Amino acid sequence: MNETMRNQKNKRRYTDGILNMLTYASSAICVLLLLSIFIFIFSKGSGMLGMKLLTGDYWAKNYMTSIQEKNNHPSTYKSPEDASDDMYWSERWGVGFVDARNENNEAIVLVEAIDDASPFAHLKDESRQNKPSISAESGYLLENLSYQTTQGTTRLAGNIVSQDAKTVARLLDQDAVSINKIYFKTPGGGIRGSLLTTLYLIIISLLIALPLGIGAAIYLHEYAAKNKITSGIRSAIEMLTGVPSIIFGLMGVAVLFPLTKLAGADTTNVLLGSLTMAIILLPIIIRSCEEALAIVPQTLRDASLSLGANQSQTIFKIVLPCAVPGILSGVLLSIGRVIGESAALIYTMGTYVNDSPTLLSQGTSLAVHIYNIMSSEQPNFELACAISIVILVFVFMLNLLVKLMSRRFNKAWY
Amino acid sequence: MKSYVKQYINTIENQKKLRKDQRMKKLFLMMALLASSAIAVIIVFISIKGIAPFLPNYTYGSVDFLPFITGMTWRQDQGIYGVGFIIVNTLISAFGAMLLSFPISVLTALYIAKIAPKRIAVLLSSVIELLASIPSVVYGVFASGTITLLVSSLAANFGFVTAGGSSLLAVILLLAIMIFPTITTLSITAIRSVDKEIELGSLALGATATQTHFKVVLTAAKSGIFAGAILGIGRAFGEATAVAMVAGNKMFGPTFHLFDTTRTLTTTMLAGLKETTGLDYDIRFSAGLVLMAVILLSNLILNLVKKKVGKLK
Amino acid sequence: MDEQIFQVEKLNLYYGKKQALINVDLTIRKNHITALIGPSGCGKSTFLRCLNRMNDVIEGCRIEGSIALDGVDIYDASMNVVDLRTKVGMVFQKPNPFPMSIYDNIAYGPRCQGIKKRKILDNIVAQSLKKAALWEEVKDRLQDSALGMSGGQQQRLCIARAIAMEPEVILMDEPTSALDPIATSKIEDLMEELKKDYTIVIVTHSMQQASRISDETAFFLLGEVVEYNQTSKLFQQPDDKRTEDYITGRFG
Repeated sequence: MNETMRNQKNKRRYTDGILNMLTYASSAICVLLLLSIFIFIFSKGSGMLGMKLLTGDYWAKNYMTSIQEKNNHPSTYKSPEDASDDMYWSERWGVGFVDARNENNEAIVLVEAIDDASPFAHLKDESRQNKPSISAESGYLLENLSYQTTQGTTRLAGNIVSQDAKTVARLLDQDAVSINKIYFKTPGGGIRGSLLTTLYLIIISLLIALPLGIGAAIYLHEYAAKNKITSGIRSAIEMLTGVPSIIFGLMGVAVLFPLTKLAGADTTNVLLGSLTMAIILLPIIIRSCEEALAIVPQTLRDASLSLGANQSQTIFKIVLPCAVPGILSGVLLSIGRVIGESAALIYTMGTYVNDSPTLLSQGTSLAVHIYNIMSSEQPNFELACAISIVILVFVFMLNLLVKLMSRRFNKAWY
Repeated sequence: MKSYVKQYINTIENQKKLRKDQRMKKLFLMMALLASSAIAVIIVFISIKGIAPFLPNYTYGSVDFLPFITGMTWRQDQGIYGVGFIIVNTLISAFGAMLLSFPISVLTALYIAKIAPKRIAVLLSSVIELLASIPSVVYGVFASGTITLLVSSLAANFGFVTAGGSSLLAVILLLAIMIFPTITTLSITAIRSVDKEIELGSLALGATATQTHFKVVLTAAKSGIFAGAILGIGRAFGEATAVAMVAGNKMFGPTFHLFDTTRTLTTTMLAGLKETTGLDYDIRFSAGLVLMAVILLSNLILNLVKKKVGKLK
Repeated sequence: MDEQIFQVEKLNLYYGKKQALINVDLTIRKNHITALIGPSGCGKSTFLRCLNRMNDVIEGCRIEGSIALDGVDIYDASMNVVDLRTKVGMVFQKPNPFPMSIYDNIAYGPRCQGIKKRKILDNIVAQSLKKAALWEEVKDRLQDSALGMSGGQQQRLCIARAIAMEPEVILMDEPTSALDPIATSKIEDLMEELKKDYTIVIVTHSMQQASRISDETAFFLLGEVVEYNQTSKLFQQPDDKRTEDYITGRFG
């Protein structure tokens, strides 16, 4: 008898142990998952992060230039003091070069630094009609440079003849008496256009969804009687949250596209994306707004009414100001949703990365930009991950803000 | 006492104020109706657009419905549109992801809600929240950079060759990761809301804490956990961009083999977005309509199952 | 001084199917303090809220009978509810200042009536705070948030806020139940003072309070007025057995 009881106890302890281990293992998996996502994204993408990524154009630009006549002669320029060790400085032309590799892993030469008085800072843009003066800038690819040697012959230098930075600098110092033509290429790969589009999307979709959502929430919370119509409205809004975003995209091109056509659009466009986004945001805003209204104490409404205010005055002067923190957290959540959204926007804005987006042109948000990169033949993982980091930083900051606000907000009341 | 206010109280003004109230109420009602009409607009317009290709007077030459819904080939280039196998693929990948994600989610939720010390529970909840807030494209980048590699080397071990790792297995793994936070969050809520009395009762009868958690708490929370699963399945059906990065878009036949490429309704809708008119464009609405039908039907069935399961003691 | 201000006749009030007030007949006298007492749930607060139609906002609330203010039925269709509430102010159980400055709290009501001139508002704020015996304490920090005041100060601010509208009647719904004894006695002294200019109807759960401050007392039980009399009479020689049982603490 004692023996069997002890056996049973041991067996029970054993199964309990296994079951508990299972829960530990599952939790460990979820932590590992998050870590591996972070490690992958950050290790691949952090190398490309920088102001150049955030402010640069995506598409490379070509510049065919020549040096303005009065400057087209060698002189002596000091190498800048903060120059890095791997830069090769041409003392006579006042320009420094570095070696780099492009996305296809080929060696290239980039301009790294330029003296203010250097001939390279006084160029003419030959590709444009009135030949405006421009300056070479750090980061430009030195594709092709033709120069006049001391013997009077014309020679080429730069990427076209596969020279490295050291050779280019040396040749310029030793041989060149004047420079005929320089062909530069800008680096490209920046996301300024996509950042701008994302900003447009956030602003316009909120401009539409916020008043509409707050209005609907006010009706549902402050006016609506508890009847079938109200619960119908409520469940219709609730159903919107279950609709996949790709369906919103279809709706956008089918229903809202004609609206933007009236505004003069002839392709899918940023405005259409914003309108579609506004509908996606509605349930989020309505829900957080309703929650915010619910926290405002009823006695404040009573007090306002008992002082001879009508209901509109009560809502606009008392209830809404009290609900601002809650509404704000809804706004932050919405911004996060806009930044993360992809499927609906692919349908409504296209996947063409646009460096100078306007409301009625195509464009990509950061997320769609990633999709565009990933759906090419040889996806540039580094760039995709770098943009992902930008997205994650924004989204996590927004989430943190919402959390902090809700903590303070809940304490503030009575 | 001097009177300042009395002279300003104006009955006519106040009458106006009350009438304004009525107007404001109507305005807010309009806004609420507008917001709630969005779902109707979506359903109506996508239905109209989606059904159009099957009607006899369709501009680009009508498509027969039966071959469309049962078809086993999707060749845009040849004008063959069959979504039968795509529906099967969609169901397989979504339910496969659910099968994988569900136990891990529930166990994690149980650990967070009942077993873990408070600090670890808070930490893990934040981990879940972070996972939930990661946008789907980022999951897609992660999946096509890691999961596909894993899958292709795994396939190589078994002597299979994959299309660079794009496969049914990759889709299932990706979707399992993506629906994990959804199910976990709802399960935590369900487990936390289980009546303390039930737990104490079980403990008083001599059950261990672990037995109580697994037998009593999970049973009591099952309808909430099931609701989480339904939400997770819905998300798996509708997920588009991330899946498109690892699916491979096979053109025929249902995919049952884990290392074979696949095609879901959403990846079909995203593929070849170049056209803006024509049958190729309109058929996408039909696919969208099918997607909505699949989500609606599976929701209905799962809700029925949930009711049945809820009744079992 | 004994003219009447409220004349309540055959008042019945229903929440859905539940009847909360049954055949209430009461006359409230001008410049008196009328106390409404009774066990919780007896309908005294509900009755109070009828006097400035605050029950209007509650769903499923239906009212029969009549309440006349200065001879005019306040439930008549011609009655403007905003007008009514400027005449009949209210102070609530818990101090509920708006989350804005002290000044803005007082100025809220007048502003809602369209008074915008700063000078007039300044005068209203000063006069109301003085009448509520709060002026000396807050005159240097009128722009501070009202939520930073003590509970007793907040409640006097709420009284000042009501006074700012220059009402005829002030309804008070257990105004001291959330306050400590010192703050309570300040409010009671204040009521004694306010009685000269206003009529006060107060719901209280404290029989001592009712007997200390009120001129008339109505005893509510299960939605009915069991007894309504001069306070001294009601507490010393109640006519009804149930009143006697209640005030002697047999139930409550």
